[in-house]
Amino acid sequence: MTAANTEGAAAGAAAPDPDEAQRAIEYCYEQGWSDGLPLVPVSKPLLDAFLATTGKDPDEIIGALEQVGRDVNVRTAAINAAMAGCKPEYFPVVLAAFEALMRERAARGGGFQSTSGPSPLIVVNGPVRKELGFNTAGGAFGPGFRPNATIPRAVGLIVRNAFGIHPHVLEQATQGLPGRWQVCIAENEEESPWEPFAENGGVTGGVSAVSATLTRTMEFVDNRHTPNHEDVLRDIEDTVNRMGSLIFPQTSVALVLCPEHAQMFAAAGLSKADVQNWMIEKCGHTGREFKLAGKENVPRKPDGTFASDEEFHRILSAPQQVPVIVAGAKNAAISMVVRIFGEWSGSSVPVGEKK
Amino acid sequence: MPNAILDPTGTVTNSAAKPAAPRAPRLASLDGKRVGLLINTKQNARPFLDEVGRLLEDRYGVTVTKRTKLNFAVPEPENVIKELVAENDVIITGVGDCGSCSAAATADGVVLEAAGVPVAAIITDSFIPTADAMAALRGAPGYKYATTAHPVAVLTEDKVKERAAQVLDDVVALLVEDSAKDEA
Repeated sequence: MTAANTEGAAAGAAAPDPDEAQRAIEYCYEQGWSDGLPLVPVSKPLLDAFLATTGKDPDEIIGALEQVGRDVNVRTAAINAAMAGCKPEYFPVVLAAFEALMRERAARGGGFQSTSGPSPLIVVNGPVRKELGFNTAGGAFGPGFRPNATIPRAVGLIVRNAFGIHPHVLEQATQGLPGRWQVCIAENEEESPWEPFAENGGVTGGVSAVSATLTRTMEFVDNRHTPNHEDVLRDIEDTVNRMGSLIFPQTSVALVLCPEHAQMFAAAGLSKADVQNWMIEKCGHTGREFKLAGKENVPRKPDGTFASDEEFHRILSAPQQVPVIVAGAKNAAISMVVRIFGEWSGSSVPVGEKK
Repeated sequence: MPNAILDPTGTVTNSAAKPAAPRAPRLASLDGKRVGLLINTKQNARPFLDEVGRLLEDRYGVTVTKRTKLNFAVPEPENVIKELVAENDVIITGVGDCGSCSAAATADGVVLEAAGVPVAAIITDSFIPTADAMAALRGAPGYKYATTAHPVAVLTEDKVKERAAQVLDDVVALLVEDSAKDEA
């Protein structure tokens, strides 16, 4: 430590007491509240600052998991958001994210208990991105930015503490996935050639909104040397098509396109719907291919029969199964295929304003 | 006086404070009883429970009816529970071989027991902690169920039948009184 630093610390009469802070952090660990990382100990004044950002009643129930007999109200959500490191002004985004997530059938069902160990993908649109200092550019999947990092963590802490879903007990993830409770993308609307993602979820007019779904993992598609947009679509299609991820007759994947890929598609005259339709049309396998992977029961048709050896079974059938988001920096042509757990509700939630 | 550190768990009523869920009285015998199979749709659950049912028909002359769970991940709704209780003397459910479905099998068991029907829930042994946690949440700490080795989903038809035969005594023991079991 330099002399200047020592003097600086000594001179700051109002500087917080690190020993006291450490005791408070350890106390939180001892209660079993932590996801493994340090928590911000929450006091009544901090809670009040969170509650002051919303017009909602602190007692309002904002989510329930019937199978475990637990629910969560605004007050408890606020305590968890504060513990996660959110600033009070993030709280309306946390509430919108949680509402969006609880619209997912998989989240209300057994998703949080699942051996798949799924993680939310949270997408933020609108002016709130700039107002709160979200990262909308490079490194979209993190880390390094407080709102992007703490808002999904808040959701994870609500699931742990308010719903009581603890690892090895009611949470039975076999391996889980990297980045669980850590992914909150602020869409790069400025460099997207298309409408904001929230519009696909029904929130129009440039209003701040949050969308969320559960995901199982993600895989990059690095394709930066071809001038032909169809080459890129085929490359993405190959990743979407990966057999290992297929367990049901239908699947869902989010395409988180980098600005360069998105702009290339748009320049070729493609809308989001065109990209989605490409995947719907092309992605799938023959019955024989499923059988070779021991998955002959996967290509089940609506009439209950299974695809024959030669028959091509499509794994996508509707645009809602292929949400398209634009995120990241315009510095390389690298996009991400995100595997959705269940299916996206297709509905986004406006960020509430204080009444 | 410093501020207190606030608790993030909400209003948790711990299971000890909850009214205990009553367990159904055991039957004196399975002879001629109505056995309901609540099949949770997981891979091999149907052949597994079919075989359990068949063996019980042979051994005790029971009448077997089958029902498929609406959603393997969550407990059955109240109307289904009522019908199950009305139509059966005992219920066998499974196979709980995942995070949500093992917990749901136990939860169904606790609810059906409270409604007066003895239940044998079958889960794979990887999910004992989550089954126990769910039972405690439902006011039935220490709730008893039958286990079979994990995994079940990859077993061939013959192996599934073997497993069903192996678990049969445990299933019967969960459904009848101790004395009746000794005589069997």
